[in-house]
Parts: sequence; C-alpha cells; structure tokens
Amino acid sequence: MEQNPRPRSVLEVCGEEIIRIVTPVSICMVLVVILVSILNGDSSSNLSSITTMATIAYTESSSDSIWDKLKGALLNSLVFVVVVTLVTFLLVLLFYLRCTKFLKYYMGFSSFLVLGFMGGEIAIFLVKDFNIPVDCITFAILLFNFTVVGVTAVFMLKMAIFVTQAYLVVIGVLVAYWFTLLPEWTTWMLLVAMSLYDLAAVLLPGGPLRLLVELAMSRDEDIPALVYEARPVIIDIHNNNNNVDSTTPNAQRRVWRRRGDLDENEGIIIRHDDSSELAAPLIQHIDIPPMNGNVEEDSNPVLEGIGLGSSGAIKLGLGDFIFYSVLVGRAAMYDYMTVYACYLAIIAGLGITLILLAFYRKALPALPVSVMLGVLFYLLTRLLLEVFVVQCSVTLLMF
Amino acid sequence: MDSDSRNPTSDRHPSHGGASTSILPITATTDDVAPSSSRLSRVEWPTIDGPLGLSHEDSLAYARRFFKLGFLCLPFLWAVNCFYFWPLLRHPHSHHSNPRLRTYLVGSAIGFTLFTAILSSWALTFAIGGERMFGHVWEELVLYNVADKYGLTGWI
Repeated sequence: MEQNPRPRSVLEVCGEEIIRIVTPVSICMVLVVILVSILNGDSSSNLSSITTMATIAYTESSSDSIWDKLKGALLNSLVFVVVVTLVTFLLVLLFYLRCTKFLKYYMGFSSFLVLGFMGGEIAIFLVKDFNIPVDCITFAILLFNFTVVGVTAVFMLKMAIFVTQAYLVVIGVLVAYWFTLLPEWTTWMLLVAMSLYDLAAVLLPGGPLRLLVELAMSRDEDIPALVYEARPVIIDIHNNNNNVDSTTPNAQRRVWRRRGDLDENEGIIIRHDDSSELAAPLIQHIDIPPMNGNVEEDSNPVLEGIGLGSSGAIKLGLGDFIFYSVLVGRAAMYDYMTVYACYLAIIAGLGITLILLAFYRKALPALPVSVMLGVLFYLLTRLLLEVFVVQCSVTLLMF
Repeated sequence: MDSDSRNPTSDRHPSHGGASTSILPITATTDDVAPSSSRLSRVEWPTIDGPLGLSHEDSLAYARRFFKLGFLCLPFLWAVNCFYFWPLLRHPHSHHSNPRLRTYLVGSAIGFTLFTAILSSWALTFAIGGERMFGHVWEELVLYNVADKYGLTGWI
C-alpha cells in the first residue's frame, strides 16, 4: 500500500481554486479588449446614437461642457440603477412565489437573444472588417448551432463543464462589448453607481440580493441565474492512492462545500424594451470543512461522486464578469497603458474580495472593491502617469 | 508479491496459507489487466468531468437524446456528445462500457465528421471559387452584401 507522495498543502489547494476563478475573468477581459480594439479602434470618441435604457435621460455629445456631461451621466446612471433595483425586486417576488420554471425559461430566452442576435451582429462586424468571404448559408448554420448549444448549456444541468463555462464567458464578453458602446461619461458613472448599488443590495438588510440569498438558503435550492461556477478541487483523503487528484469512488471530499445553493443573479440587458434583469452579483460563500473529516449535513460521509449536483466551489456572478470587462474595455478605448493598470487593479480587487470572503464567510458583493480600484487607477494613469511616461520616453530618459 | 501470487501452488503453503494464496491470484490477474489503478479509475467515470459528471445509468439517456437532437441540423451537439463522453471513446474495451451507449457515440462522431466535411468543402469552394465560379450568384450570397442589403447590423 503506498502512501501519498506528499499531501497537498492548503496553499496549493486554495491557490488552485483562486486561479480557477481568475482565469476566466482574465479571458473575458482580454477578449473584450481585443474586440474593442478591432471594432471600435477608429473612433475614440464614440457617439452612439442609440437610445437604450442607459442613455434615456441624457444623450451625450462631445460639444457639451464637463458639468453638463457630469450631470447627464449622473442622471443616466440613476435611471439605470432604479430600473435594475425594480427588476431585482420583481425577481425576488417571482422567486418567492416559486415561479422557478418561468425564471429558467427567461434565462434561456435571454441567453438565446444575447448569443444569437448580439453574437451574430458582432460576427457580422468582424466579417465585414476582415472581408472574410463567407456565405450566408454557412454563417446561418454556424450561428444556429452555436446559439442552440449555448442555450442548452445554460439550461441543462449536466453539460460538459468546460462547455458551460466557455459559453458563460462568451455571454459575458458579448454583453460587456455592448456596454462599451455607451458614451464615455455615462459608462464610468454607471460603473460607480452599479458598484454602490451592489454594496447596498447585498449588505443592507432590506437589499434585494440579500433577500434573494436568504430565501434560497432557507429553501435550500438554486436561484435560477447565470452564474459562473469554478470547477471544485477534489482532494483524496485515503492513502491507498498515489494520484492525489484521482477520483476513486471510495473517499473523496470536496475542498469547499456549501451549506446550500446560495446563487446570485445575473440578468441580461435587453436593449429596446424595459426589462433589464441585471442584478449585481455576489460571490458565493463556501464552507471550509473541518480537517478532521467531519461531514456537513448535506453531503454523504463517503462521497460516491456519482455526478453530484451540488458542488462546493467558488461562484462568481456573470454581472461581475461583465462589469470588470466593461471597465477594461473602456480603458482600452483610451490607450493600452490604462488597460494594464485597470487589469491589475481589478485582479487585486478580486483577490481582496476573496480574502474577505474567506474571512467573513457569507455572500459578498464582488463589484465595489474592484471597480473602485479600477476607476481610481484609470484616472491616475490617464491624468498623471501617462504624461510622465510619455515625456520620459520621448526624451529617452527612462522606459 | 508478484512471483508468489502468480504461482499459487498449494503445495507451498499447505495449511492456512492455502486460503490466502488462493485469493492472491485473482487480485494478480486483475492487476495484470489494469496495471495501474489510475487506468481503472479513468474508465470508472463515463464522462470527461469525472465524478462531477453523469453516472453510467444516466449516460445512456443523455447520449441518446443528444444523438437524436443532432439530426435537427445541429452537428455541434454531436461534437459536444463526443467530447463529453471522450473516456468511453478512448477506452472501448473496459468492462464498464455499454455497447448501446457506444453506438450512439460512434454515430455522433461519424455524423459530425461527415457534416463538417460537407460544410467545409462547400465553404471553401465558395471562398476560393469566388465570382469566377459562381458568377453573379456569389455577390448575392456573400455575407457582407446580404448584411448590407437587409440592414442586419443596424440593431446594435
């Protein structure tokens, strides 16, 4: 009988969990930066003439004064946050009345819209940009396949994990790209407003997201929402296996196990009509099992591992992905220097939030720390750092 | 341990050891079939997700549903089917495999390859042939013209 070569330390296991959540966030951000560079690269001052919910109060034009732009952006984001609050309360009500089926269908429908229409439009933009000689029949078949499999991945519980995760990231990328089409001041004000809303909605006792989480906890069921769940790290607690990650049916224990399914919401912005179901995201709470092998109440003592539905892993709402990527995408519309600064700020914020999560052990808002740090770093880089670096480089002094 | 177990001679251990040596060869032969425990565990789970995926019982219905849905002009579903049950495709002769499940998987793989071949040959012919081959129809079928004609990019 062989012993384990060495037991995996807590640092390795926790590090792997963190990497499994930071990687898709980074991939989402990189894809949005690439899209923005390719498609929006020509016009840095982006005047979009569309009337969406986020620009309903004020349409920005480059000839306004700063004070006007500020006021207009504030108004826009206020309207947006109010709409989001209302829709989230509606979601809580529906969840309370146990209309879970309706919510699931709505989720599937909105991902169909995002993947089919927005994905199709962005693909058409790319085809036009690169003059790819694809014909419409092939394109239609590919788009149809892509959309249907995406909707299945969102709907069905047991799809390949990689496919589900990939589709969630793609949905995040598409919605984030749409947000970068908004005017500049509105975007930044919206980010700040959404992070404040997130803070309030999760931590205040009357906040809609807190209500939702508590409802889900008390009923011990899933919130039907678009949530990215990282693959859980499995450690083997028996010694008769030299492969630490091997999945023998006898003795496995998930490293993170949760008390119940505390999911968070995410909704998709539908452009032309009213319903915006974007509830700001939370980070999932995880239960660290005691090291002496006691089991929690909702898992078998010996996990047979036959496709367990509830796994204990870090969950991050899709809204987090979207707003992080919007921040970085907006930074990309100015210069790549701001992209690097904002990326580092967001990852640092995410790390801080995960530490807070491990410390407080309850559902936490993931937006505030990262977005505030990101906005701060963007302003500092754009106003102060860039001047310094450019002057130094031009005079061949440094860099 | 190996040499003893392969020769379970009862004359070597006549008395109480007979029982123990008679047990040994069975474990020896299974060890020969699966020399490392990891190989046995690899086909333990039918899906690529391992213990997070489906069990053997649910896999059959799942694979059948994906196989049938793929006929609705959805070869990507066949591809996902093959990807999901990749361990079963790789190790066809394990004692866990279900022959019916395997027929669905092989059917999905064949269907996906066929469809990809047809679609890519059509797409390549269209792209490379261009106007010389198709004439006027090319202009009408190519995507960017169709998008301009019907204003498909005006929604964003």
